[in-house]
Amino acid sequence: MIEAKGLTRRFGQRTAVDNLSFAVGRGEILGLLGPNGAGKTTTIRMLAGIIAPSAGTAEVAGLDPARQPERVHEHIGLLTEAPGFYERLSARRNLSYFAGFYPGLDVRQAVAHALETMGLADRSEDRVGTFSKGMKQRLALARALLHGPEVLFLDEPTAGLDPEAAKDFRQLIGELKEDGRTVLLSTHNLTEAELLSDWIAVFRSRLVALDTADALRAQQFERAIRIRLAAAGDELAAQLDARPFVRGVRVAEDDRTVLVVHLEDADRDRPALVAEIVSAGGEILEVAEERRSLEEIYLRLVREDES
Amino acid sequence: MMAQRIANVLRMEWAGMARTPSSLLFLVVIPLLLIGQALFLAWILPAFLSPELAGIAPAGGENLDAVAQFRLLILEQFRFFILLIPAMIANVFATLSIVEEKVSRTLEPLLATPVRTGELLLGKVFAGAVPAIVVAWISAALFVAFVALLGWGDLLTYVVSGSWYLSIFLLTPMISLLSFVVGVIGSSRASDAKAAQNLAVLVVFPIFGVIIVQVTGLVWFTPLLTIWLSLGIAAVDAVLIRLAVRLFARESIVIRWR
Repeated sequence: MIEAKGLTRRFGQRTAVDNLSFAVGRGEILGLLGPNGAGKTTTIRMLAGIIAPSAGTAEVAGLDPARQPERVHEHIGLLTEAPGFYERLSARRNLSYFAGFYPGLDVRQAVAHALETMGLADRSEDRVGTFSKGMKQRLALARALLHGPEVLFLDEPTAGLDPEAAKDFRQLIGELKEDGRTVLLSTHNLTEAELLSDWIAVFRSRLVALDTADALRAQQFERAIRIRLAAAGDELAAQLDARPFVRGVRVAEDDRTVLVVHLEDADRDRPALVAEIVSAGGEILEVAEERRSLEEIYLRLVREDES
Repeated sequence: MMAQRIANVLRMEWAGMARTPSSLLFLVVIPLLLIGQALFLAWILPAFLSPELAGIAPAGGENLDAVAQFRLLILEQFRFFILLIPAMIANVFATLSIVEEKVSRTLEPLLATPVRTGELLLGKVFAGAVPAIVVAWISAALFVAFVALLGWGDLLTYVVSGSWYLSIFLLTPMISLLSFVVGVIGSSRASDAKAAQNLAVLVVFPIFGVIIVQVTGLVWFTPLLTIWLSLGIAAVDAVLIRLAVRLFARESIVIRWR
């Protein structure tokens, strides 16, 4: 549904996007992560046919955004970083205006449906200037969905929203995926990215990493088992370290009852590890796989890339 | 679809205007000021008529008395003053058209729809030019009515001539389009409304030139000359509309306005 091949954009001497290649299939969400100024918005603009690439090609819904921007616009919805509305006019009037540009669209019906879906039907005749940030953001998503696009570009959709509004918004994005829409989600919210995305792309002008969150976790951090004991585990750690299937053990610095154990094979050797602790007299309260957050993965990738 | 999209832009612009009472007030005040000024001059200036100025009646008015001839000369200029109405309205509305989109951040979502640059710009131009033309025509009708009310009805036989009709119904729409196209170009290139207005105000100078040329009698705008002038401006309008599309740099507008 979305494919970039060597996509590059230069502004004078500065390269904002450098040789970016990726593909996102129908009904998938790609989370685009990167620091400010990494080129995420530029990437979205190139894919949405708003600005042209300096080099490389792209295909969105089977069309080339650089050569057929208007055709591409019939198949995409764009949620810009700033919602951007005619604040003196009502929500309905705003949506009717944007809907009026799509060929063959029943404007009245499309607007009514979009307002209903976003829970804004009861405020449809109010001026947009009176809306909260969250409502404007929902209205912007309604605008992006007016014509039922197959592909959605969402640029910082939950930035500046309160936690409740952000949660509602994430739920809406999840529903879009269930509807089979392809989404490119640019965000600084890593929890959101992990919750929603099938694929995570870490981006700093060029692609640093692209995979599922779990695959990135496995690539960046060795799997470890986290064991909570009833008592301090320093002695037990020394005993376990001598076992052949254990590659390393450490006691958590902030809690001496927690052992972090690296096994030769985290799945195969886990029962043996538990048996070893029990036979050594250890009292286990909890066994879990240590799960690194996407934030840790992201920061490691970005720092590695910087260095 | 093109006409439909242009009409969509037009309706939106009008909805915006209707929500801005100050803009509607402007549409009323400017014409009334110009009509008032022309009538005041036609009333007051003949009182200062010197013998040297006697007998300068426009063609056809030679048999009128000296005061009537002089008044006729002034009233005849009103058709050129009417050209100022769309130019001044454009200076306010057209110059804001794109700048407002930039400021309200509506341009990027707009450019993500299938609307073409030409459709967007034509919609903006017509949204301003059509009311400006209508206002100019209403002003012309009001002017005629006031002239009759002031007891100068006999002069209307000379004022409302073939040239008058051509000027009002042909030249005025062409000048109106010109003013709005220049205003929209200014708006799409400028970083703020003030800079756009500085560019758009240039349209007013040629109109003043026409008025001066007419008043000094250097060139008399006969029906034929009015037609040629209108056609010339129509050609300039067509060229400028194409230029406006070329000058509308989507990329730099979106990138610069963050």
